[in-house]
Amino acid sequence: MRILVIEDEVRLREQVSQQLRKQHLIVDAVADGEEGLYMGTEYPYDVAIIDLGLPLLSGIDVIQQLRQRGKSFPILILTARGRWQDKVEGLDAGADDYLVKPFHFEELLARVNALARRASGWADSILRCGPLSLNPASQQVNKNDVAIDLTAYEYRLLHFLMLHAGEVLSKTELTDHIYEQDQDRDSNVIEVFIKRLRAKLDPDKTINPIETLRGRGYRLTLPRDI
Amino acid sequence: MTFKSLSLTQRLLIAVGFVLPAFLGLSAFSLNNAFQASAEKAQQKRLINYVYTILTTADFRENGVLILSDILAEPLFYIPHSGLYAQITTGNETVWQSPSSLGVFIALPKHPDTSNEYYSTITLNSGVKLLNLAYGIVWENDQGKEFEFTINVSEDLDDIEQQAAEFQRSLWYWLGGTGLLLLIIQALILRWGLQPLHNMSSELNAIEKGDRQRLSRDYPKELNQLTRNINTLLDHEQSRHERYKNSLADLAHSLKTPLAVFRGELERSESILDLKEMGQEQLERIASLVDYQLQRAATEGQSSLLAPVSLGTIIDKILNSLDKVYRNKQIIHQFEMAQDVYIHADEGDMYELLGNLLENAYKYCVKRVNVVIQVKRKVIEILIEDDGDGIPAYAQANIIERGKRIDTQVEGQGLGLAIASDIIEAYQGEIKLENSHLGGARFIVELPRR
Repeated sequence: MRILVIEDEVRLREQVSQQLRKQHLIVDAVADGEEGLYMGTEYPYDVAIIDLGLPLLSGIDVIQQLRQRGKSFPILILTARGRWQDKVEGLDAGADDYLVKPFHFEELLARVNALARRASGWADSILRCGPLSLNPASQQVNKNDVAIDLTAYEYRLLHFLMLHAGEVLSKTELTDHIYEQDQDRDSNVIEVFIKRLRAKLDPDKTINPIETLRGRGYRLTLPRDI
Repeated sequence: MTFKSLSLTQRLLIAVGFVLPAFLGLSAFSLNNAFQASAEKAQQKRLINYVYTILTTADFRENGVLILSDILAEPLFYIPHSGLYAQITTGNETVWQSPSSLGVFIALPKHPDTSNEYYSTITLNSGVKLLNLAYGIVWENDQGKEFEFTINVSEDLDDIEQQAAEFQRSLWYWLGGTGLLLLIIQALILRWGLQPLHNMSSELNAIEKGDRQRLSRDYPKELNQLTRNINTLLDHEQSRHERYKNSLADLAHSLKTPLAVFRGELERSESILDLKEMGQEQLERIASLVDYQLQRAATEGQSSLLAPVSLGTIIDKILNSLDKVYRNKQIIHQFEMAQDVYIHADEGDMYELLGNLLENAYKYCVKRVNVVIQVKRKVIEILIEDDGDGIPAYAQANIIERGKRIDTQVEGQGLGLAIASDIIEAYQGEIKLENSHLGGARFIVELPRR
C-alpha cells in the first residue's frame, strides 16, 4: 500500500513516515501543499494523510484540487485545532476522515487501514479471502489459521492483491504500490515475488490463489469473505 | 485639511457662515429695492400734484395767453434755487416760470402728448440732478382754436438720494447685527445640541482608561441605538475577557495535577515500563485539558451584534461529515425542522456545540440518530437522540453539570459534552438529558432567542 503524507512539521512527518514504514507501507512524505498536490496528482496512492495548516497551499485547497483532478483515494486530515468548523470544512472539501493532534499512532494506523479497506470495498478490519486471512494491524497472514511467514515485499504484494481481490492488477500498478519512490524498479522482479508467494501460500498447488493474465497482469482469485 | 477631517461643529458653522450672509444680503437687496421704488413713486405723485395746483391757478384767455391768476400754495416755488421749479412752455417759448427757477437753466424735454406724464432726469450745469415731469395740456377757445402747453415741474433728487442712503445705512446696521446675533445663537445651539456627543466621547475616554465599565443610560433617543450597541460590545468583550482569564487560570491549575503525578512517578518509579505507561496516561490528560480550555477560551458567547447563522445549514453540514466518518456504521439519521432557524450566535460556537453533541450521538448509537429543531416562544429547542445504550442515571448529572472541571468528568463522554455545556452556558441556554424512546440518550438544548 502506498501512502502520501503531507505535513510541514518535520518531527511529526518523520515520526509518522517511520512508523508507517514499519507497518510495511510505502510512504512518500512532503512538507508543503504544492509538492503534496504534485505528488498526489502524479502517483497512485491508496491513502493520503494531509495536515490542514500547510505552507504554500492549504490542506483544504490540496484536497479540493485533488478531487477536482479526479483523484478518489481516501484522504485523512490532521488538524491541530480541533474546531468542528475546520473538520466540517475539510470533510466538505472531499476528505474522508479526520484526526485531531495530538494523536496516538495506533489510532492513525487504524484510520488509514480502515480508509484503505473501505475504499476497496472491505467492511471488516481483517481481510479474508477463502482460507487466507491478513490482519493489517499486526501484519499477520494466516492460511486456515496457520501463520505464514512472509518477507516485507511478499507481505506488501499480498496485502495489495488481497485489498483488490478479484481485480486485475498490472505489473506497473503492483510495482508502484510496493516499491519506495527512489528504489530501483524492475518489474520482472514482480514475477519472482508472485512465484514465491504462490509457493508459500499454496505449496501443494490446491487453491491456486493468484492467476496470471498474460499481458495484463495478475489477479487474486480467492473469493472475498466479508 | 480635507472635508472629512472637519468636526461636526466646524461643518455646521461653515454651512451657517455661508447661508446666513447670503440670506441676509438677499433680503437687504430686496428691501432696498422696495424702498427706492416707493420713494420714487412718492416723488412722482408729488410732482403731478404740483402740476394740478398750477393748473387750478392757470387762467387761459381767448387769444391763447395764459396767466397765473393766483399765488401758488407751495412757497418753494418763490424761493430762488429752492430745488422746486416750474415752467410752462408752448412750442419753444417759455410762457411762465416760477420765481425759484429764475437763473436756473433747465433743458426741457420735448412736449408730450396731451394729458401724458413724461418723467425724466435732468442734470444741471452745477451737477445737481432733478426729476422733471412734463405734462401736456391743450386748451380750446370759444372759436374752437386749440392751444398746446407743456407744464414742467422739476424737483431736486438730492433729498430722495439722501433718504435712500440713510435707509441703506440703517438697513446694514440692523442686518449685520442680526446676522452676528444669529451666528452666536447658532454656535450656542450647536454646543448644546452636540453636548451628548461630547459627553459620550469623554465617557469612552474614561472607559479606555479603565475608570468606567460602560456608557451611562442618559442619552437622547437618537443616540440610544449607538450607546446600546457600544454597551453590548463592551459587555461582550468583558465576558470574553473574563472567559479568557478563567480558562487560562483553570488550565494552569488543572495542568498541575497531571504534572504532579508525573513528577511523583518520576521520582518514585523504578521500572521504565511503568513510567512509560503512566507518562502516556498523564500526557493524554494534559492533551485533553489543553483541548478543553482552548475551546472554552475560543467560545465567542452571546451577542446581539453577531449576524444570524442558519442552524439548518450547520446541522446539515455536520450530519454529512459524520455520515462520511461513520460510514461503516450505516447510520440512519433523521433531521426535522419546520423551516430554517436562524440564531444570533457565532458560527464557530454553533459548529462546536452541535458537532460535539451530534458526534456523541453517532458514536454511541446503534443505527439511528434523530435531530429535531423547534422554535418556541422564548427559546430555540434542539433535540438530539440516539438508539444506543443511553447514559446510566448515576452518571447523567455528572455529564452535564456546569463548570465541572474536565479532570473530574466521566471518561469518554466527558470532553465533548463539557465543551457543549460550556458553550450553552455562554449563551445562557439550558441542557437537559433524558432517556429517548429509541433507547439511548436524548439531549435537549434550549438557546434563548435573542
